[in-house]
Amino acid sequence: MDTVEITGKTEEEAIHKALTQLGKREDEVNITVLKKARSGILGLGAEEAVVRVEAIGNVLQDPGAIDNSPLQDSEPLPENIIKAKEILKTLLEHLKIQSSLSAVPYPSMSEEDARPSIALDISLKGEDQALLIGRRGQTLVSLQYITNLILSVNNKNLSPVTVDVEGYKQRRFKSLQSLALRLAEQVRTSRRPATMEPMPPNERRIVHLTLSKWDDIDTESSGEGENRKVVIKYRGM
Amino acid sequence: MKELIEYIAKSIVNEPDQVVVSEEDTDNGKILKLQVAPDDKGRVIGRQGRVAQAMRTLLHVMVARSDTKEKVELEIV
Repeated sequence: MDTVEITGKTEEEAIHKALTQLGKREDEVNITVLKKARSGILGLGAEEAVVRVEAIGNVLQDPGAIDNSPLQDSEPLPENIIKAKEILKTLLEHLKIQSSLSAVPYPSMSEEDARPSIALDISLKGEDQALLIGRRGQTLVSLQYITNLILSVNNKNLSPVTVDVEGYKQRRFKSLQSLALRLAEQVRTSRRPATMEPMPPNERRIVHLTLSKWDDIDTESSGEGENRKVVIKYRGM
Repeated sequence: MKELIEYIAKSIVNEPDQVVVSEEDTDNGKILKLQVAPDDKGRVIGRQGRVAQAMRTLLHVMVARSDTKEKVELEIV
């Protein structure tokens, strides 16, 4: 999904098609012209251009790998992370969960804010991950919510933090991104809308953001509450 | 469990001194009663009960890990 080979009457046309398909801008890809277009004489001997376009430097590049190694000490952690870490640590102690906390790099999910941020990752010692994640991530949502609530009440100017359990969110978001891209591809071919499983707001957001650059694809959420799901539709150009 | 609710409540109210959590055992399991200053009630309940709901979710984690799996309810009084 991150590399496509596309033909077109001209190289420009092929590149444009490829960028639309990948949902990328030109500066986010590597372009290799495999075959130049030839106009031929009166259409005789005309050959279409073939380009290979490869997405680079993006979270989509490798859906399998996540960087979950703790940040180096060399850079001081922002104040909200330090404060939130204390709060989360106390909460986990009260919950009697054997764990340790580390600040890890967290990929940005939106285009507007491409800066990678920092998340607090809980690594468990012999506990079940599912316990802290909960059904549809509900427990993790609550843990993050309470942490940020306490953080904001006591420090009005600090921004909220992301709380993760052993890279769960990163893995989940990456698989959601590739699922969204796969489904959008299908919708584009079949012209029939695809409905995804019900998902919590933060996960639906990933799908909307992932497909926001696809000009011919629309995404919308339908249904209420627990049952709200994303519908991917073909809009045409 | 009492300590967890106490910690959260005291951290988000204006008058931490007035936070009292009491436990009550019933036939249907345990009830945690959270008492706060009248003006702080909204804070521990939250918009659309979100804070109270999050506290309940965290309580469930503790219940799930306990041997008895005794039901625990959180009441705000």
